Amino acid sequence: MTLAATGSSGGAKDVAQRKLPWSQLIAFVAIAGIVLAGVLAGALAGASPQGILTNVGFYASIAIIFAVLALGFNLQWGYTGLFNAGIAGFYLIGAYTMAIAITAPSPPIVIGGIPVYPGHLGGYSLPLAIGAILAMFAAGAAAAIIALPALRLRADYLAIATLAFASILQIFANNLQSVTGGAIGITGIPKPIAFLSADAPFLNAITIVGIGSAILLAFLLLLQFMAESPWGRVLRAVREDEEATMALGKNTFNYKLQAFALGGALMGLAGALFAVTLGYVSPSSSFAPAVTFSVWVMVIVGGSGNNRGVIVGAFLIYGLEWLSVQLKDYVPIALAAGLPTLHLLLIVTGFIAVITVVLIVLLSRYRPTTAGGQVLRKIQGHGWARTGVIGAFALYGLGWAFVFLEQYKPGAIGDTIFYTRLMLIGVLLIILIIYRPEGILREHKRVLR
Amino acid sequence: MASESILRVDAVEKAFGGIQAVDRCSLTVLPKSITGLIGPNGAGKSTLFNIIAGLYRPDGGEIWFDGTRIDGLPPYEIVHLGLTKTWQIPHELRNLTVLENLVLAAKGNSGEHLLNLFFRPRAVKRDEKQWRARAREVLKLTQLDGLANEHARTLSGGQKKLLELSRALMSDPTLVLLDEPVAGVNPALTGSLMDLIEKLRQSGRTFFLIEHDMNVVMNRCDWVIVMHQGRRIAEGRPEKVKTDPVVIESYLGG
Repeated sequence: MTLAATGSSGGAKDVAQRKLPWSQLIAFVAIAGIVLAGVLAGALAGASPQGILTNVGFYASIAIIFAVLALGFNLQWGYTGLFNAGIAGFYLIGAYTMAIAITAPSPPIVIGGIPVYPGHLGGYSLPLAIGAILAMFAAGAAAAIIALPALRLRADYLAIATLAFASILQIFANNLQSVTGGAIGITGIPKPIAFLSADAPFLNAITIVGIGSAILLAFLLLLQFMAESPWGRVLRAVREDEEATMALGKNTFNYKLQAFALGGALMGLAGALFAVTLGYVSPSSSFAPAVTFSVWVMVIVGGSGNNRGVIVGAFLIYGLEWLSVQLKDYVPIALAAGLPTLHLLLIVTGFIAVITVVLIVLLSRYRPTTAGGQVLRKIQGHGWARTGVIGAFALYGLGWAFVFLEQYKPGAIGDTIFYTRLMLIGVLLIILIIYRPEGILREHKRVLR
Repeated sequence: MASESILRVDAVEKAFGGIQAVDRCSLTVLPKSITGLIGPNGAGKSTLFNIIAGLYRPDGGEIWFDGTRIDGLPPYEIVHLGLTKTWQIPHELRNLTVLENLVLAAKGNSGEHLLNLFFRPRAVKRDEKQWRARAREVLKLTQLDGLANEHARTLSGGQKKLLELSRALMSDPTLVLLDEPVAGVNPALTGSLMDLIEKLRQSGRTFFLIEHDMNVVMNRCDWVIVMHQGRRIAEGRPEKVKTDPVVIESYLGG
């Protein structure tokens, strides 16, 4: 670990760079805000505490899966500069391998001469851990097989090959009925622990989150160790200039192959987690190209080349998608039930905000040397702080706008947010690329001693 | 002659589309010499260097380095034989620090093999420490030590040239191909750089360099080869080449 540690623990210069982690702070506050908003929407709509927690658990487990996908893509793209347009394909391989390995046998079902379910390959009832290892191995091998010819060509061909690969796999999953169970897919994937109580969904959710976070943390540490080693340094060199790296005596093809296969294996692991989390796999939208695009956005937003950053990106971007569903489901009910409460909440917060502003202005005018008096100058002097204050007031205005809109046309907000969620993510991406192209957590400089 | 040479280029050809960049060019470089390669722009000098370093595959001919035939070998294998090249337009690894750029150029750093990270952690640590120390020594020689932990992209054009040379020295080469090593470097530093190259030559290295700075070529090289339209048109000691009518007509001017 020492090699990895030297990268981040630098001298005085490093400390100076870390003085104002505004963007990281905002990202964490945003993720907390997303979860809180989802919880609030559920609570106001009168959902049970366990129902709300199960929902949050679902958010966390899918976000963890996306984080593992993002870590894999970050190894390929963020570190080595290899583009992968078929993330969904490696994810699919992992999910189906896991499903085939760990389910119990399920023969074809025929009712009255009509085949209802075609059955699927396997039913080996293997332990979960072995299924996950097989999933990683299968996806990693697939990545290596695609990369072998494509990596020798120009970079564009890798993108084309992977894109085609993912599309073909989705078609296979749909039509290779005897292996994949066709359009129905594979159901009855066992949970890590079988709970028999009435609380099963809740208990399952927290088990999955627990196992998922442990796996995510373990792989974050492992990747951090590998990526910050001399091996990882060669990957970054390949990303910067492959020809120059070759002229420095490195067999760049080998490094590209390793990074691509290992990244593919991580995507396979994500697929395995997905199969266990949902309990079934089917060639549905879970493996559509949209998954690939989501992971791109997560890595770009979070900070390409920074493992912690891409995890933050996954939690943030998937959080927005999750929140849009929560709002669609809960906001109309919640608003109908709690409009008077919301009015009261907005009036009280507005009152507090006005008093705070008046206090700050008075203090900075009459007692400018006190800590309170410094606040206004700090806000005026710092771009991020100013943006934060303006953003807070904008949100407050938005709250009132929602109240009026919902009174005029019930259900409008939830639908609007749900159907425009991808547009909102797109806007976020554009803003980020303009103002912070290196992502929320930028790739740090490796200060060697 | 051929048996004494460290580098022998024999009838090498290379065409890009319809342009014959290198046209059955033959030349030899003697060990422990500083050999200059001059010629007008487009004469094929940089192309020839890229062919020797393995970055371009020649259309025909043979290249021998230190008793090994190297044409057709990939660039990284040629580096491991002891032949390193610098780039005319610096190819610094932009988002890596200067020190990282140098450590990368070392040969046989065990941490660059993935499995060693897990199975030979002590060797990895030892190698890395040793190469970092070596990189700092090299940076002192080329006066870049103050910039060790800056991103390579922040260097000036001349500093990037120095970085090129520093990286070449890291692999402990026997033959260094320098593509315009002092273009863009200030006069005082040019002098000390060439002193450094002279010192390194005395320790047994060979330098083969392309340069347009005639002061450097005439005062520092012991042998000068002139290329024109992809072919070697003259060679000899600097003072002889300077007065060669063919060279004056095609390159130096009257």
